[in-house]
Amino acid sequence: MNRNNIFIHLALALVLILVAAFAGQLNRWQKDWKSRGVGIVPATDKKRPTTVTEIGLNETRSFSRPEVLVKFRSGVSQETIEGIAARFHDRIEDRIESDPGLEAIDDLDNVDAATVVAEYSKLPEVEYAEPNFEITLDANEEPLVPVFPRDPQFSDQWALQNSGQRGGKEGADISAPLAWAKTTGSEDVVVAVLDTGVDYNHEDLAGNIWTRPAGMSPYHDDELGTIDDENGYNAIDNAADPMDENGHGTHCAGIVGAEGENDLGIAGVNWKVKIMPLKFMNAGGFGSTKDAIEAINYAIDRKKAGVNVRIISASWGSTQRSRALEEVIRKAYENDILFVAAAGNASTNNDRTPHYPSSYNVPNVISVAALDRHDELASFSNYGAKSVAIAAPGVEILSTWLGNQYEEKSGTSMATPVVSGVAALILSEHPRMSVDELRKKILDSTDPIVALKGKTVTGGRINAAKAVE
Amino acid sequence: MSNKDNAVENARKDLAKRLKVDASNVKERSVEDADFPDMSLGAAEDGEMSGQMITPGWRIRLEADGKTYEYRADKNQLRAYKFKGKNHRI
Repeated sequence: MNRNNIFIHLALALVLILVAAFAGQLNRWQKDWKSRGVGIVPATDKKRPTTVTEIGLNETRSFSRPEVLVKFRSGVSQETIEGIAARFHDRIEDRIESDPGLEAIDDLDNVDAATVVAEYSKLPEVEYAEPNFEITLDANEEPLVPVFPRDPQFSDQWALQNSGQRGGKEGADISAPLAWAKTTGSEDVVVAVLDTGVDYNHEDLAGNIWTRPAGMSPYHDDELGTIDDENGYNAIDNAADPMDENGHGTHCAGIVGAEGENDLGIAGVNWKVKIMPLKFMNAGGFGSTKDAIEAINYAIDRKKAGVNVRIISASWGSTQRSRALEEVIRKAYENDILFVAAAGNASTNNDRTPHYPSSYNVPNVISVAALDRHDELASFSNYGAKSVAIAAPGVEILSTWLGNQYEEKSGTSMATPVVSGVAALILSEHPRMSVDELRKKILDSTDPIVALKGKTVTGGRINAAKAVE
Repeated sequence: MSNKDNAVENARKDLAKRLKVDASNVKERSVEDADFPDMSLGAAEDGEMSGQMITPGWRIRLEADGKTYEYRADKNQLRAYKFKGKNHRI
C-alpha cells in the first residue's frame, strides 16, 4: 500500500463515522420531537376520531397504531402510573374520568400494541391492558335505519317497539323497526295459524290471507273427501270455511301478519306474508286433539302439493299427552315445517309438568313463554330451563279481532305468533333455510333477560333484528 | 252467550242432576270474577286443547250435602271443575 492509498482510506473512514453520527443524532431528534407531540408521524399513526353507532359495527384490530388501554389497580397513585409510563418511554394520552385508573397510553417507540399490552400486563399494578381497537363502519354496509310503519295504532304495539308507553321499559321489545330496515316479510312465505280460524275479511288481514293458487287441486283426503280449500281448512266441520267465531285466531294472525303501512290499525311482525287459516277450535276457544291432527295433516298435504307452508303457529295446548299429535308434528318436521307452540299459562315449570304440544321432544318444536312490557316473565307464564326455548312479549298485546276490531289480549298464545312472525321474516331473507337452521337461528337471536335466567333454554327475548341479520 | 246469573242457575241445575238431589238443596256459596289461564277455563276435558289466552269469567262455588263444588263459566261456556276428579263441559 503506498502513501496516497493510506490517505484515501483514512478519508473514507472519517466520512463513514460522520454519517453514522449524524444518523444517530437524527434518530434522537425524531424521538424528541415525537415526545413533544410535534413529530412527523406516519398517516396511519395519526389519531383519528372513531365513529361508534349501535349498528353496522366491525371491530378491526389496529395493531399498527401503538396505543393501549391500561387499567391500573385501585389504589395505584397517579404518580406511580406516570412513573411507569415514563420508564417505558410512553405517554399518558388520556385519563378516563368515569373509570378511575383507566388510562389511554401512547407508546413513543413505535412498538406494536400487542408487545406494549404484554409489558403492562406483567406489572402487579395493572389489572388489565388491551389494544385500543379501532372501530370502523364496514365499508360495504350502510348502517340500518329503523323503519316505522304509518299504521295509526302502531304506537300502542309495545311488543314491536317499546318506547316506555304506559309505564313500560323502553327497549323491552323485539326490535321490529330495525328488522324492517332489512325485510318486512314476503308473500312467498306461508304461515299456518292453527287456531279458532281467522276472520279473513278483516280489513287489516284480508290482503295477507293465503289463497289456494290457481291450478292447484282442492284438498282431498281419502276418508274425508274433497274440500274446496280456497282460504284454508276447517277441521271441526271438515269444511272449507275457516272463519273465526271466537277472535283468538284472528288475534294471533294479526300478530304474525296484519298488513303494514296500509294506514289501518296495526302492523304485524310481517307487513307482507301469507296466513293460512286452519280452524280446529270452536267459538268457545277449545277443540279436540283429533281435529288438531287433521288440520296439521292438511298443512303437510298442502306443503307436499307445492304451497310454501314453513311455519305452524300453535297458540294452544293442554297437559294431556297425545302420541298421535306428537307423531303428526314429527311428520311436519320431516316436511321442513317449524312448529311454534305456546308454553302454557299455569305459572308452572314445564320441566316438571309438561304442557303439550310445546313439550314434545321433536326437533321442529319451539316452546314460547310470555314477557310483559317490563321485561319480566308474565305472572301466568309457564317456564322451563330445559323445555321452554324462548320468550316473547305476551301481555296486553294489541291485535286484530272479529268485525274489523282491535283488542288487547294476554297469554303465551300472544307470545307464540310473535316468534312465528320472526321465523317468517327470517325465511323472507333466507327462503332455503332448513327447519333445523331456522330453529337454531331463532334460538341464537335473543337478548338476554335477567328475569329469564334459569327459566328458559336461551334465557332471552326474541330479537327480530338479530334474527334477520 | 250467557251472563253470570244464567251461569249460576245452570250450574245449580247441573250439580243437582249429578248428585241426584233437588235443586233447592244446592246453595250458592260464592260467585266471583276470575281470570282463567286458558279458554277451557283451566278445566279442560280429556283430549281437549284450548287457546292459551287469559280468559275472564266467573268462579262459582256451590254447596250441597255439606260439600263445596266449583264451577267455572264465561260468556261461552260452563264447566264443572274436578267433579269427582274430572272436569266436565256442560
